[in-house]
Amino acid sequence: MIAHKKRLALLSVLVLAVFTWVACSPAGSNPEAAPATAVEQPIELIDGLGRTVVLEAPAQRVVSLAPSNTEILYAFGAGKQVVGRDDFSDYPTQAQDLPTIGGSFGDYNLEAIVDLDPDLVLASELNTPEQVKALEDLGLKVYLLSNPEQLEGMYQNLITVAQLTGHDQEAAELVDALKARVAAVDERLAGVSERPLVFYEIDSTDPNAPYTAGAGTFINRLIERAEGENLGLVMDVPYGQISLEELVVQDPDIILLGDSVWGGVTVEDVQQRSGWQDLSAVKEERVYPFDDNLVSRPGPRLVDGLEALADLLHPQAGE
Amino acid sequence: MHITQRPYLLNLSLLALAVVLSIAVGAVFVPPTTLVHMFLGRLPGLAGLGSWPGTFETIIFRIRLPHTALVLLSGAALAGSGAAYQGLFRNPLADPYLIGVASGAGLGAVVAMSVKWPESLLGFYTVPAAAFAGALITVVLVYMLSRSAGSAPTTMLILAGVAASSFATALSSFLLLRSQGELRRALAWLLGGSTVNGWEPVLAALPYVLLGLGVLLVSGHALNVLQFGDEQAQQLGLPVERTRTLLVVAASLATAAAVSFSGVIGFIGLIVPHLMRLVWGVDYRRLVPLSILGGASALLLADLLARMVIAPQELPVGVITALAGAPFFLWVLRRAQKTGS
Repeated sequence: MIAHKKRLALLSVLVLAVFTWVACSPAGSNPEAAPATAVEQPIELIDGLGRTVVLEAPAQRVVSLAPSNTEILYAFGAGKQVVGRDDFSDYPTQAQDLPTIGGSFGDYNLEAIVDLDPDLVLASELNTPEQVKALEDLGLKVYLLSNPEQLEGMYQNLITVAQLTGHDQEAAELVDALKARVAAVDERLAGVSERPLVFYEIDSTDPNAPYTAGAGTFINRLIERAEGENLGLVMDVPYGQISLEELVVQDPDIILLGDSVWGGVTVEDVQQRSGWQDLSAVKEERVYPFDDNLVSRPGPRLVDGLEALADLLHPQAGE
Repeated sequence: MHITQRPYLLNLSLLALAVVLSIAVGAVFVPPTTLVHMFLGRLPGLAGLGSWPGTFETIIFRIRLPHTALVLLSGAALAGSGAAYQGLFRNPLADPYLIGVASGAGLGAVVAMSVKWPESLLGFYTVPAAAFAGALITVVLVYMLSRSAGSAPTTMLILAGVAASSFATALSSFLLLRSQGELRRALAWLLGGSTVNGWEPVLAALPYVLLGLGVLLVSGHALNVLQFGDEQAQQLGLPVERTRTLLVVAASLATAAAVSFSGVIGFIGLIVPHLMRLVWGVDYRRLVPLSILGGASALLLADLLARMVIAPQELPVGVITALAGAPFFLWVLRRAQKTGS
């Protein structure tokens, strides 16, 4: 009996050892032997996974794996160099004409990507390291653009992607313009004394415990930058559910419906929800639909989001 | 009993057809003649037949071929283990996940992702390796639990398996709810499984599937004897205890390897053995090999559908096996009833 158990345990250890050995065996040959005769200065950048990515020349056939990446590429005129996009890349509208390479189950169609013969695949933090490796194993160049922490990081991402695609000049101009718009918002809100308490609704599938955004998110940063206070900060996680009770206790001045675009939630829906009628924001009709894409995609439209927030939170400021 | 060649030939042809379709059909259209030329070109002395873009080489030989191989192995492992379990437990509801392989693998994968395991340790194999370990540890635990209880071992094995499965699933759910960024990777694994592509996962899974299925293939006679019940089998000279251990270990090995790389695919391990039993009879010497062949074909065809239904997106193959498998199975059951009466 005991000998039996021992044998079984021994067998499983053995099996695991073999598995580990197989798993660790070298991962095939590395096909990258860069030719020594590069005419142009090669582009060498470190990506979000700490990998050094080298391009011999600016990429001319880019596949974007994230909506934010697509928006960044189009923002400074690299749209013509984009040959493929993920399912969620819907902005700008020209991007919708591009062939899609999947992504809706977090799964990308490798065949479709390879078929587009890209010289650069622009990944984001939506993509797992495994996916990056799978693409690399197929001989593709992959650059993973990390999520920015602040607007400054978003500008840096614009510059990085511009370097990869040969649009340094246009990107520098774009960044200057974006900075000027942010400065204009800051200036307009400089005299604001009251900071409204804002509840940003991400998902209200369960209206008794809607999802919202807390610290560490752009939603939070932009609400604060627009001189508002984010109710979501009461949570200790970036994204999570908040109870209706907490909402009633906090009683926000403004409710923003980030689920209005993707979820079709309307102001009327909110008025119908039981228990929500007593909230000040609902009674005073300060519930507004909000385009979540402006604050959830870390691209240049974050500045549009900031302006939209400033208009909603402080309509009278600076007039 | 006279064993004819026909069922094998039929199932082998079906498998060959499924393999060809799986290689020929995909998100990117490769003309059949080009495809033939590409394969012929690999043979010595036949290079230079026609020309095709270099991307086709990558798509066929580095994406579709290894993918087909992995699906084939998974289907074979699941259906082969399913047949063995149904015989071992003498329970028509037994499937390869009965005693906790799937939930154990799921827990292993989720743990590996939520503790942010040092990636360098096993690199990209961390998740499949953890899933494999989770599956085997769960099965060993279940086995020991059932043994310590004493009498009626098969019933105890099933009960311990159900309990351990629920526990592991609950623990996975808890970890998933607590996790933040890693949730997406965990979900991707649970839905689709293979987070790694190419030939490496095929080579990593191959030894376990071969070893496991090999043992099951030579256990046909023992499974037949086990149908008389444990006591009868013992009296007929079969070392019941040892046979059971061997079968559980073999089936778990094959299933764990499949699950680690392909995710939890339902229904194949349950339905295919029943189908084969309905058509070709209950002799396990024939049922196990036929289930292995049939499982490989069935999963290849389901995978083909999963890739085609909403191309270029891919559905998780488990959705297809359940959606298409269940009605098909009911239809076969009805037909069997009619012809039987």
